[in-house]
Amino acid sequence: MANLKEIRNRISSVSSTMQITSAMKMVSAAKLKKAQDAITAMRPYSDKLTEILQSLSSTMEGDAGSKFAEQREVNKALVVAITSNRGLAGAFNSNIIKELTRLNQEELKGVAVSYMAIGKKANDFVSKASPVQSNKSDLFDDISYDNVAVIAEELMELFVTGEFDKIVIVYNSFKNAATQIVRTEDFLPLKPVAKDEEAIQEQKELDYIFEPSKEEIIEELIPKSLKMQLYKGVRDSWASEHGARMTAMHKATDNATELRDQLKLTYNKARQAAITNEILEIVGGAEALNN
Amino acid sequence: MILEIVTPELTLFKGEVESVSVPGINGQFQMLDNHAPVVSLLSKGAVKIFGNVVLDKANAALFTKEDGTTNFAITGGVLEMKDNKAIVLAD
Repeated sequence: MANLKEIRNRISSVSSTMQITSAMKMVSAAKLKKAQDAITAMRPYSDKLTEILQSLSSTMEGDAGSKFAEQREVNKALVVAITSNRGLAGAFNSNIIKELTRLNQEELKGVAVSYMAIGKKANDFVSKASPVQSNKSDLFDDISYDNVAVIAEELMELFVTGEFDKIVIVYNSFKNAATQIVRTEDFLPLKPVAKDEEAIQEQKELDYIFEPSKEEIIEELIPKSLKMQLYKGVRDSWASEHGARMTAMHKATDNATELRDQLKLTYNKARQAAITNEILEIVGGAEALNN
Repeated sequence: MILEIVTPELTLFKGEVESVSVPGINGQFQMLDNHAPVVSLLSKGAVKIFGNVVLDKANAALFTKEDGTTNFAITGGVLEMKDNKAIVLAD
């Protein structure tokens, strides 16, 4: 028979864990709302920027020849891994780590891979085995476009100077609160844009004025769009993190509730048994006296 | 014409205006209704909006009013005008 006091202690410890997990769930739910709003708010800018850039590059006569589009043989690659700073978010971080391992064994096999970690969890993992280019985990203290832009500029610099031949970003993209999809995106070099005859025709009809020239506008817009791509990755990861944590904490609370109910049942059974025992003893004692 | 001012983080303004003057890379220029389609880089300066402008309370502090125009300072960006709709992507 389990000790009554022992069970009581377990009940109280499970209950306090439950309080913590449900509080964390509430906090994540509130933060998730904010993070989702931020994603919605950046959409008009990123959509329009992509549209302009796309329509310009697909109608260029001749090659843009941008320094960001230079395809080199890949000897050195940089992987930007975006995770969270904190754990307790289910498989959120381990999915990224799995993807990093997979990349290393498949696509980037035989390539010298360095890492840039955005998020402490990524840093903890990659710093064990591989050279870490830099650790940008403090970005999550203040995710502003300006802060992300600084990192994106650093990445562009690393590519242009030939430090790395390829840069990819790995992050959790936000689908909904319960679903995150690990995504590996090529950051640099840029993919060549296919010519679009229809768009060329349409642009001729509209008779666009370009100020200054198409080439110069593209040169100016490419860095902006790269910054936006990284910003989007960070924002998506941020929202995913809270979604993942909310789901994980919801499950934890459910499990704790179940465990507590079970323990309560055991406790009551044990209490009942103890009382029955006591009565038996008393009755037995009285019986003995009577005889 | 319709004017939209968006930044990477949020949409600052969207609404009907009489005309707008922007700091193009080759100098300030003004666009009226039905301006020809144009894509232009913008330099540091002020976007001046003419007409009756209703601002969002949350963003009103970023704009300044000055004899009939509502101004918004940008450090750079790009503008696209098409189908009587101007979009300023501000940095």
